[in-house]
Amino acid sequence: MASVDIQGVTKDYGAVKVIRGVDISIADEEFVVLVGPSGCGKSTLLRMIAGLETISGGEIRIGGRIINDIPAKSRDTAMVFQSYALYPHMSVFDNMAFSLKLRKMPKAEIEAKVHAAAGILNLMDYLGRSPRQLSGGQRQRVAMGRALVRAPQVFLFDEPLSNLDAKLRVQMRTEIKALHQRLRTTIVYVTHDQIEAMTLADRIVVMHDGIVEQIGAPLDLYDNPANMFVAGFIGSPAMNFVPGTLRREAGKVWLDAAGNTRIPLPARVGGENGRKVALGLRPEHFTLGGGDDSVEATVEVVEPTGAQIEVFATLAGQQICTVFNERHPFRPGERIRMRPSADKLHLFDAETRARILPGAH
Amino acid sequence: MKLSMSPRVKRSILCWLLLLPLVVVILFPFGVMFVTALRPRDELFVFPPTWAFSRFVWTNITEMWEKVNFGTALLNSIYVSVSSTLLALLFGIPAAYALSRFRFPGKGLYRQFLLVTQMMSPIVLVLGLFRLMVVFGLVNSPNSLVFTYAAFNLAFTIWMLQSYFNTIPHELEEAAWIDGASAFVSITRIFLPLAVPAMVVTAIFTFINSWNEFVLALTMLRESDSYTLPVMVFAQVAGRYQIEWHHVMAATLMATVPVAVVFSWLQRYLIRGMALGAVK
Repeated sequence: MASVDIQGVTKDYGAVKVIRGVDISIADEEFVVLVGPSGCGKSTLLRMIAGLETISGGEIRIGGRIINDIPAKSRDTAMVFQSYALYPHMSVFDNMAFSLKLRKMPKAEIEAKVHAAAGILNLMDYLGRSPRQLSGGQRQRVAMGRALVRAPQVFLFDEPLSNLDAKLRVQMRTEIKALHQRLRTTIVYVTHDQIEAMTLADRIVVMHDGIVEQIGAPLDLYDNPANMFVAGFIGSPAMNFVPGTLRREAGKVWLDAAGNTRIPLPARVGGENGRKVALGLRPEHFTLGGGDDSVEATVEVVEPTGAQIEVFATLAGQQICTVFNERHPFRPGERIRMRPSADKLHLFDAETRARILPGAH
Repeated sequence: MKLSMSPRVKRSILCWLLLLPLVVVILFPFGVMFVTALRPRDELFVFPPTWAFSRFVWTNITEMWEKVNFGTALLNSIYVSVSSTLLALLFGIPAAYALSRFRFPGKGLYRQFLLVTQMMSPIVLVLGLFRLMVVFGLVNSPNSLVFTYAAFNLAFTIWMLQSYFNTIPHELEEAAWIDGASAFVSITRIFLPLAVPAMVVTAIFTFINSWNEFVLALTMLRESDSYTLPVMVFAQVAGRYQIEWHHVMAATLMATVPVAVVFSWLQRYLIRGMALGAVK
């Protein structure tokens, strides 16, 4: 087990810069999730840690040791691939024992380690089978078992759950988290699924276009997104953005949005009068009801999910999504009044897209 | 019983009817070979020709074997075909691996070059190759054929292997590297076992090409002791006052047997290898 330090790392293929200077410090025993849309460089970064891609600039250290020029086989990492990459011509046992055999470990010891890992992952009955005789979830477990037997310094996961169906994905997610709580190995986990990131991570690294947008604990990112990208990426359904002009007059603050819509804002929000801003409102931060601080919206589509009702509505010419816990009989075309929670809304600069902190005029 | 047939059955009957002429064209020479090889000598030239004959004369084969020195030619053919197949694979596998896995300047050009070499008929090159073998002192040696057959089959071998290698996921080798394997170990223990089907198919084609090749063999081999089977059979026909057709056909019949054996033996590996496939 070891820490991973990524300092000023860049990656370019000729003129194309895939990673443009990334700094991340991952503590020992930490579970860090790299998340971002496809093409943001998260998988490339993981492959650079593993030694499958060269490092164009900067340094990566594992346990204090610079590994830039150390080949993959000597880095003592273990990786779980999206495609599992199980050796199809070997049995489950041999798949898991391969790395130990390469280290010339005594047979009895190999057997003990493989059985121990298989026990943890409920694979004892499948050790003699070949990968093609296994279901998706079982293959996923074998891939993890192959990583587990090695007791490596760092576990690397590259979108390991993407090939599983929704139900199994949730189940495996829980298993991975339980496994980390039990083994306390440093884990770097790549996914494009922000729910996976939120549920698994000690800390999330949000990446976009080859740079780190924000690093933080899941709920911290959710509550205090640094910019519109992180705000829109973390949380499902995604945050609504209403563009407009900030008005500050006689102690009152409001947003002038399209179609003469006036959205009242609490006095604590930052930003000076006349600034072009985007108001960020999470779907779950609305309550039904009128009043001075309420806004009017037109219901477009209603999607009950059971626990909640998702309502897609038009507010200031903008389609927004809201989520309500109460069982109000929403009808398409209906005009509803609702109040955004004053303490949960976010204001972003329309140009820099960075968050305007409360009180920063 | 209902007379109507399902569309599937109808379609397959139609397919067979359409294929029938082709089957006849392919099987007719085999039929002639078979009945000529095994009929008594005095029934060879009857008019009108018939398929039927009075008795099977298996001694035609043993007589032929002794008379034309069949055993030596068979061994020569086996030596040349096996060696050239192995040689083609020995050079083809690394070349195909490099084409499939590495980026290097001139890669596209190299692939095109391989394709262009396939467009040249060996006959055009026979004279040049002969002079080359004279320089190397390999005229009349089966080794001259080993080298030339391997060279002629190399382009095909590389193309064939490369297209299959492309289907073997990179991740498998990457997983092996991360597991602590060197490049050599990951190739020999992970990559090559998975490439067996492609290697078998390529080996079959190269083997059969080498086994049947005639023009180069006729040019390079001067003495009957070094003849391969096609040249040996040809020698029974060309420039003779009397052609023993039953012996010629017995020899051709015997010459087809090893190919059939090799094919059916390797076919099992082929099917087993293909079933192995599937990574996900």
